[in-house]
Amino acid sequence: MRKFKSLTILILVGALILSACGGLGQSQPVTMRVGWSGSPDTLNPGAAVLSEAYTIFGLVFDTMYQLQLDGSFKLSLAESVSVSDDGLVYTYKIRDGVTFHDGQPLTAEDVVFTYYLYQNTDGYPWMGDYTYYFENMEATANNEVVITLSEPIPNIDAQLVFLYVLPKHVWENEDPVEFENTAMIGSGPFKVVEYQPEEFVHLARNDEYFGEVPKIDELIFQSFGSQDALVQAIKTGQVDMIYELPNTAVATLEEDPNIQVVTGAPFAPGVTDIIMNQVTPENCPPDDGLCTGHPALLDRNVRLALAHATDKQKIIDVVLLGLGTPGTALLPDGLGIWYNSSIQDYAYDLDKAKQILDDAGYADTNSDGVREMPDGSRTLTFRINWDSDNIDPPRIAELLSEMWGPLGVKLEAQALDSDTLTSVCCPAFDFDIIIWGWGSDPDPNLLLSVMTTDEIPTGSSETGYSNSEYDALYYEQAAELDLERRKEIVWQMQQIVFDDVVYIIPYYAQNVQAYRSDRFTGFVLDQPKVELSDITSLAYVEPVR
Amino acid sequence: MAVQELELKPSVPSSPLVGFWKVFSRNRMAVVGLVMLVALVIVAGFADAIAPYDPKSYAGIQSSDIYNRPSAAHWFGTDDAGKDVFSSFMFGARNSLIVGFFAAFISIFIGGTIGVVAGYFGGRIENFLMRFTDMMLVIPDLPLIVVFVSLTKPSLWNIILVIGLLGWTTTARIVRSQTLAVKSRKFVLRARAIGAGNRHIIINHILPLVMPILVVNAILVISLAILSESTLAFLGLSDPLAISWGQMLNFAFGRGAMSVGAWWALVVPGFGIVWVVLGLTLLGNGLEQVLNPRLESHHLMPGKTTLRKEAGFHQLRKPLRDSPVVLDVQNLSINYVSDDKPPARAVENVSFRLHEGELMGLVGESGCGKTTLMMSLTRLLGSSGQIVNGGVIFNNMDLATVTEEELASIRWNGISIVFQGAMNALNPVRTVGDQIGEAIKKHLPIETEKLVEERVVELLELVGIAAHNKDRYPHQYSGGMRQRAMIAMALACAPQVVIADEPTTALDVMIQAQILELLNELRKKLGLAIIFVTHDLGVVAEMCDSVLVMYGGVTAEYADVDTIYNSPRHPYTQELLKAFPDLSNPEKRLTSIPGYPPKLDALPPGCRFAPRCPLAFERCSEETPDLHELGNGHVASCHLVEGS
Amino acid sequence: MSHYRYLLRKIGWSAFTIVFVILLNFFLFRILPGDPARSLTKDPRMKQDAVEALRVRFGLDKPIINCFDSFTPVRIGSCSVNPLETQFFIYVKNLFQGEFGISYKTNRPVSDILVERLWNTILLIGAGQILSIIIGVVFGVFAAWKARTSIDYGALLTGLMAWSLPTFWLGIILLFWGSNNGLPIGGKSTPGASTYPLLFQIGDIAEHMLLPTLTYTIVFMGEYMLVMRSSLMDVLSEDYILTAKAKGLSTFQILKDHALKNAMLPIVTIIAINLGFTVAGAIQIESVFSWPGLGGAIFEAVESRDYPLLQGTFLLIAISVVLANLIADLTYSYLDPRVQSE
Repeated sequence: MRKFKSLTILILVGALILSACGGLGQSQPVTMRVGWSGSPDTLNPGAAVLSEAYTIFGLVFDTMYQLQLDGSFKLSLAESVSVSDDGLVYTYKIRDGVTFHDGQPLTAEDVVFTYYLYQNTDGYPWMGDYTYYFENMEATANNEVVITLSEPIPNIDAQLVFLYVLPKHVWENEDPVEFENTAMIGSGPFKVVEYQPEEFVHLARNDEYFGEVPKIDELIFQSFGSQDALVQAIKTGQVDMIYELPNTAVATLEEDPNIQVVTGAPFAPGVTDIIMNQVTPENCPPDDGLCTGHPALLDRNVRLALAHATDKQKIIDVVLLGLGTPGTALLPDGLGIWYNSSIQDYAYDLDKAKQILDDAGYADTNSDGVREMPDGSRTLTFRINWDSDNIDPPRIAELLSEMWGPLGVKLEAQALDSDTLTSVCCPAFDFDIIIWGWGSDPDPNLLLSVMTTDEIPTGSSETGYSNSEYDALYYEQAAELDLERRKEIVWQMQQIVFDDVVYIIPYYAQNVQAYRSDRFTGFVLDQPKVELSDITSLAYVEPVR
Repeated sequence: MAVQELELKPSVPSSPLVGFWKVFSRNRMAVVGLVMLVALVIVAGFADAIAPYDPKSYAGIQSSDIYNRPSAAHWFGTDDAGKDVFSSFMFGARNSLIVGFFAAFISIFIGGTIGVVAGYFGGRIENFLMRFTDMMLVIPDLPLIVVFVSLTKPSLWNIILVIGLLGWTTTARIVRSQTLAVKSRKFVLRARAIGAGNRHIIINHILPLVMPILVVNAILVISLAILSESTLAFLGLSDPLAISWGQMLNFAFGRGAMSVGAWWALVVPGFGIVWVVLGLTLLGNGLEQVLNPRLESHHLMPGKTTLRKEAGFHQLRKPLRDSPVVLDVQNLSINYVSDDKPPARAVENVSFRLHEGELMGLVGESGCGKTTLMMSLTRLLGSSGQIVNGGVIFNNMDLATVTEEELASIRWNGISIVFQGAMNALNPVRTVGDQIGEAIKKHLPIETEKLVEERVVELLELVGIAAHNKDRYPHQYSGGMRQRAMIAMALACAPQVVIADEPTTALDVMIQAQILELLNELRKKLGLAIIFVTHDLGVVAEMCDSVLVMYGGVTAEYADVDTIYNSPRHPYTQELLKAFPDLSNPEKRLTSIPGYPPKLDALPPGCRFAPRCPLAFERCSEETPDLHELGNGHVASCHLVEGS
Repeated sequence: MSHYRYLLRKIGWSAFTIVFVILLNFFLFRILPGDPARSLTKDPRMKQDAVEALRVRFGLDKPIINCFDSFTPVRIGSCSVNPLETQFFIYVKNLFQGEFGISYKTNRPVSDILVERLWNTILLIGAGQILSIIIGVVFGVFAAWKARTSIDYGALLTGLMAWSLPTFWLGIILLFWGSNNGLPIGGKSTPGASTYPLLFQIGDIAEHMLLPTLTYTIVFMGEYMLVMRSSLMDVLSEDYILTAKAKGLSTFQILKDHALKNAMLPIVTIIAINLGFTVAGAIQIESVFSWPGLGGAIFEAVESRDYPLLQGTFLLIAISVVLANLIADLTYSYLDPRVQSE
């Protein structure tokens, strides 16, 4: 009798265990874990500045347009758009039946509310810029949004693509800047399950999504302390995808059969630049300008010689481990059609560089290895600075020092913390050379504006370059509605600044990302740009069966 | 009563530096540390010549050179920029060391100055400076450093300044304590009395004595500074173009060394830091041991076993009195042994018999072996003392050879000790009553707490201390009270023998008299045998029944008190008495005995007193005199009394 | 009576120090170079109006202290500035209300961030301290007891080496080894762990704590061991130990009843001081292991020039150190009767 009892118990226990195991397997949601080394600064789309926050917003909210991997814009929230003949009035028809994550419907009212919120809130760092040209916005009874501009612009899509639509019924009662928005009620393909600041963001699929419903159940973005940690994480399987990693790890990861490394042009185009202070005394800002730049840099010959003396491939090899291409003008190749791919870069030719300086009268009269100005007043010794927070620029500075040394140019290197760097750069112009960089919008307008004369006193112009022809072209392209014509102008502008050697662009870095090919498949990899963390991929990935 | 005292002066070394080096080189820790440091400094200094590659140059480097494993071309592999780790290591040593040393120098300078000024001038200045130091101590240094450095230009000089300006607090404290201690030393007071200026005193008197402790602290500060620099560089707050170990780690950690498995880029620079800091720590610890030798041994270290030599021992033919013998010390010889010196023959062939109720005086100069002899009776010698001959017969046991367990039950129970300088002889954090009670509980079969307390009170009252004092701490007792409490404690287990080791030396005359009277009374009342160690002949004359005079570790003379005073036969005893003022003869001229006691590890042949003996002749410095019997148990070790 | 006076003096002094720290905290971050508003983003997409709005929001448009616009004395008009409207006064007022300001980077109240971080740090440091105290003290006692034997030399060498290891480097090495052997690479818990049953959550956190706590223990155990050893050796060479030996007490008894209590006094002080500083000292460990504590907060705040968070963290750390010192002094005074009647 007792034996029977204990046997029963054994069987029951065994069954429980088995069912637990099996059950776990069945009810286990398909979760993709993504690792990143930062974290969102805030979940408030108006107040956020960090890219991690924008990554999340892109998954949780909708916008009027969606940026594609080839650089074009596709209508998302709106199903159609019509423009008035004068280019001032845009009418968007919002899709019907779109709901927020809390079940409430998303209508044109919410869109208009959102846009006004972004425009009127002073504490939003970037939104004022995007809504600058919007003079009037209205919601019609037909679920349409009518936007009236103050002047015709060619790139309304680029302005609207970052205006995440917020639920009016949630936001109308909150302080726009203080509201932490941890619940993040949006309408996008994913919705928030849990958010731990600095630790992780836990998203789940929105089954009611109007567009492509993702195939995975859950998505978790987990913060790690360093890029090394990210690589370890994907190697050990703690995460399934990482979209930034140190280039040094590429070889190791490629050897791993379970991991697929992908490279391509960055989705969010960025550029590293070598800035040379060329501000003339006339253009020196009256209030804030110190303008202590080395006079030699005002001479195009000097800048040209420096460009010829720069072995960009070597820099790419050492700093990026070969994962990049030599740069030409300030606009990177990640800008797609806007990038002038016809420009021929200055060849790395030390002799030619020397020749240029010799001809221009910069000779080393006292044979100390450093050339002087033609009038003998100063040696060609330049201060070179960079943001001490970044780990690549010191290597670049070392390389430049070694490359330009034989040319007869001496560099005095000094890392500066970002505050100090900002204060010496612009509009003070208290430097000679700075290694820095930009992050860009998909629209070229921002980067082009940086080289205009008007931006010298505002602090946006780093070089102090001033060319009235360039300025005129800038205003022309800002108003040109025809895409092809605008593209021509932009290409012309790049050629001008390249010919004037306004910047030396060492490289355009490639985006390097990796995912566990043994677990997930379906990432979109055939486009010119690659971004595994974008909705374009995340909507389509599915587990490997 | 004058107290005859001869200060023991050590033999003067040829020069203080040579003397210091001798001691230093014996300390293995310090030497190893020094070698480690010197090796690294040499490598850093000659980096230009030794390093296989130039760490600043990118000549010939391609992307395939990045993070290469150690190989023949690169002994420690390459780093994130393809450069040779070994070369960077050598050049990096320079900056790490330079920053460490300079920053430490600033800290030590500031801290030392503040410490000396505060300690020397005292008063408001000291108050202000020390309060300021306390406040700086409280502010967490790493966050402050991080904040300062990150918000200013990243450069090595900034780092040096910041570390230096924030690291002086412990130095200030230590230097101040040391200055305070030195300030009240006699020679400083003397200097002030003759009108020497403050600056002169500070530079010539205070600084030299503060230096040793400052040097030890300096070493600690240097190692902390090097650690700080490497931490700051690692956190990315240093000048990225200045190679240092921390900077190497910053690049490695930040540019993916771990994910590539490039352990060499992480281990090698870290190893450098550990090497330097460990070297400094060993050096500092070793130096501290050299300067503060107290740390070398303590009372609980195991002692040396007793040797049993076959050499015969003297048998004192006639005892000094008739009552039963309680303690029979026969031919006891004790050496202090050490690894690198010949043994010091501290006590040689000393014998005496203690009878019941007898009060024996044990007389001699400081360093003549009195305390050693007494401590050896119940084997309380330190870890280097060893009984090499003879026996201590007590209760039919030879205490020199019994087991620890047997000895433990004899201690205090049979033979107890009243130590001199009772300030430290009692544990300052326990009540006096507690400590007396402890002895009782250990040896006597008293069951209850209450009974123990009663006994403690009884003992205290016996020595004239009111009962309520049992719950007070030693520092709350006056000097005389403490000594009496020690006596009470010594009597706690009703021992047969009490050793009183200079119990009144530190007390004033009135208290002395009280204590002596007390001891005498107790002896009569309780039938104790007491050994009274002293160098005060007056006390001996008054109270003792017999006297043992020791010189240089041997018995000079041993007899009953009258004999010693009226007919001393040993020249040393005679000289002692001559140096002693006689109330009955106020005109008597006092003399002193010139010269110094012998060095016990380098004894000259012959009589130990010969160098100072006014009656010495040739034989004295060739042949050691025997202990000669002079009748009635009187013995003396001198060639002159041979044949009496 | 005198004991109370001693206590009062100590408490009064601590209060004064805290005031000093508050002042230092305020001025420290104002005299350092850089415009906090501008430092939020160097992206020119930020229009001038937005910059101004941020300045107003963080109160940076108000004068720092009466009549001082920046830290160099520049008079504003005729210096009829309402003192209640200065940054300084507002700062102090907020402090007393428990308000530490708003973090520049995350727009969250600094006090919220501090509380979260503080618990994490206490958890990590608490475990590490307890372990290092136990191990360090035990080894130190053995080393002193068996002085000059191989046990002593071994313990001494181990302690010295442990002390010589740079904390961050040890952390890196352990992380390297640990992560290749299945331990987590960082953080406090696995994401989504809040849905696990409580036992699993505890186990998860414990797994994440393993390496950082190990690092902490190794580094600090060395210090405790060395201090305990030298303290006990000092004590054991005191006269009263000889007295105890002369009384016939066994070595174990002597250690227990006479030596340890005295030898522990310096340890108690060091423990208290360390506890105060560990909140700060964890910067290295927290950065290497991405542990979300106060030390990491300081470092991140420094990186992003998040002044309110930096100020708040710094103040919290300084106050905890002052309090820890106070506790150390008070505990010491209870343990050592000699101090009471000073």
